[in-house]
Amino acid sequence: MKKFTLITTIIMAVLAISACGAGGAQTDAGGISLTDGLQHEVVLEKPAGRIVSLSPSVTEILFAVGAGDQVIGRDSFSNYPAEAGAIQDVGGSMGNYSYETIASLEPDLVIASGINTPEQVSALEKLDVTVYYLSNPDDLEGLYAMLRTVGELTGHSKEAQVLAASLEDRVDAIASTIASSKSTPLVFYELDGSDPAKPWTPGPGTFLDLLITAAGGKNVGAVLESEWAQISIEELLVQDPDLILLGDSIYGMTPELVSTRPGWDGLSAVKDGRLYGFNDDLVSRPGPRLVDGLEELARIIHPELYP
Amino acid sequence: MTKKHTLLPFLITAVVLFVSMVVSIAVGSVFIPLNTFADVLKQGLTGGHSALDPSGVFLKIITDLRVPRTLLLALTGAALAGSGGAYQGLFRNPLADPFLIGVSSGAGLGAVLAIMLPVTATMSGLMSVPAAAFAGALLTVLVVVQLARVGKTVPTTNLILAGVAVNAFTSALTSALMIHSTGELRRALVWLMGGAVQTGWQPLLGVLPYMVIGLTGLVLVGHPLNVLQFGEEQAHQLGIRVQRVRWFTILLATLTTAAAVAFVGIIGFVGLVVPHIIRLTWGGDYRRLIPLSMLGGASLLLLTDVVARTVIAPQEIPVGIVTALVGGPFFLWVLHRSKAQNYW
Repeated sequence: MKKFTLITTIIMAVLAISACGAGGAQTDAGGISLTDGLQHEVVLEKPAGRIVSLSPSVTEILFAVGAGDQVIGRDSFSNYPAEAGAIQDVGGSMGNYSYETIASLEPDLVIASGINTPEQVSALEKLDVTVYYLSNPDDLEGLYAMLRTVGELTGHSKEAQVLAASLEDRVDAIASTIASSKSTPLVFYELDGSDPAKPWTPGPGTFLDLLITAAGGKNVGAVLESEWAQISIEELLVQDPDLILLGDSIYGMTPELVSTRPGWDGLSAVKDGRLYGFNDDLVSRPGPRLVDGLEELARIIHPELYP
Repeated sequence: MTKKHTLLPFLITAVVLFVSMVVSIAVGSVFIPLNTFADVLKQGLTGGHSALDPSGVFLKIITDLRVPRTLLLALTGAALAGSGGAYQGLFRNPLADPFLIGVSSGAGLGAVLAIMLPVTATMSGLMSVPAAAFAGALLTVLVVVQLARVGKTVPTTNLILAGVAVNAFTSALTSALMIHSTGELRRALVWLMGGAVQTGWQPLLGVLPYMVIGLTGLVLVGHPLNVLQFGEEQAHQLGIRVQRVRWFTILLATLTTAAAVAFVGIIGFVGLVVPHIIRLTWGGDYRRLIPLSMLGGASLLLLTDVVARTVIAPQEIPVGIVTALVGGPFFLWVLHRSKAQNYW
């Protein structure tokens, strides 16, 4: 059981949305020159036409800005959109990418993300592959900037602008709807409840914390020390959240299973049946679907505002 | 025993190593047909360009990825198995392995500490992880030796016990740090599972001096270790400076394994089991056992790495996981087949 918790923690950490500034963008005579998240000057003669994505979030962004056709390789975990499944797998489990496979695809650009390490970037650069390190965003502004960067790298600036603008509109719409609410429900988001005595939950400073707040809720985990942490059931009973979201429902957790956990029947959310499965992929991948996740959160947290 | 007979094991292990190296270079997640491979190699050696590899990508895969990885892992396997063999002789304990007195846990702590530093997340900090791992390994062994020391001598029992305790403490510290870390957790775990084999030629150049000195030195301690098997008292009377042999062996084993582990991550099992396979097959003469273990260790690590790179290609498994997965059953087969009684 302990091992499983550790493994899920790793998955959490992999998906952790951590900080780092986005690169400034400037174009010169036909070519593209951008500073990436590792402070590298990435120069392309023309927009990239043969792209390898090293993370699910990058793959989602590439498809969202209309560059899906240009993706010739993707990591093993890229499962969205469905078309991505047909693209050549380049590995990525436990950080082990197949550099051979990537080199053999002869990409003109590899896009790495926050889950990738400098060692991985360096390994690819030694093979004369151009790598752009796309840092994870800190906030929604960062998300829009990230989309525009990918648009520029792939020759889809216009689509990326339109996409960013529409996401911004949707976020604004949620904000104005939430503004009319009088309550701020307390939300417990469960990342991994395989140890029901101390389930994993997002702490302060995480993107999930930000999204729960933006959706008009208050995150139970905000009182914790670490960004990703195990909260004690005792603390949970004291805080007594209004609702519980099961991010681990994608691993098979259900409201019924939660209500059978010892001690959990003392929680109001369990007594009132306010337990909801939640597609964690929506909020754990720093891509355009974060806004889908935000809307979903707002609907669950404030059902009275979304009749 | 004839001269020819003593050379046979070396011949066999050398051939196995050669074959392992060729397989390791020829096989990978990208399939290169054999005739293409041969042509690329032939043309590459003469500075030419193979017509079967128009873009040069196969040549790049072979020279920049597979050859340096093969050499680095061969040296790593040799260091681990050679040190393991020497430690088993030094401690006169069949359970001794190169990580007995702190190299792995110290390297792990050093690596995890470095991974948590913000500078490591930048390109300029690339070498900080191997450097910290190497330093952590040396420091931890130093602490163990200091704790175990009684005056000018280090009794082996004290060393083993101090090693076990310090290993446990250091590993716990590493785990505690990892619990507190966030995004770096995966990087740390991959490192600890022996999946952090660095690419390119620089790591190889980094470990080479330690390997040349360390592996040569370990081969030379074979004779004193033979004598040591009669007991310390006896060895002393036979003119062996027991303490000096002990320091020398610990120093050499620590330097080689720390250097290897720094660039590859922690790879267990090879150092424990290869010397036993050699001992079961060709006997316990340390003058032969140590060099044969080196050849065998290099082969075992290369072959397990081929499995790690290809079994679910293009995904790769950390080679540290595969060593025990593949090496374990092989060792048990050797053990069972030999039907050795009181072999130790």
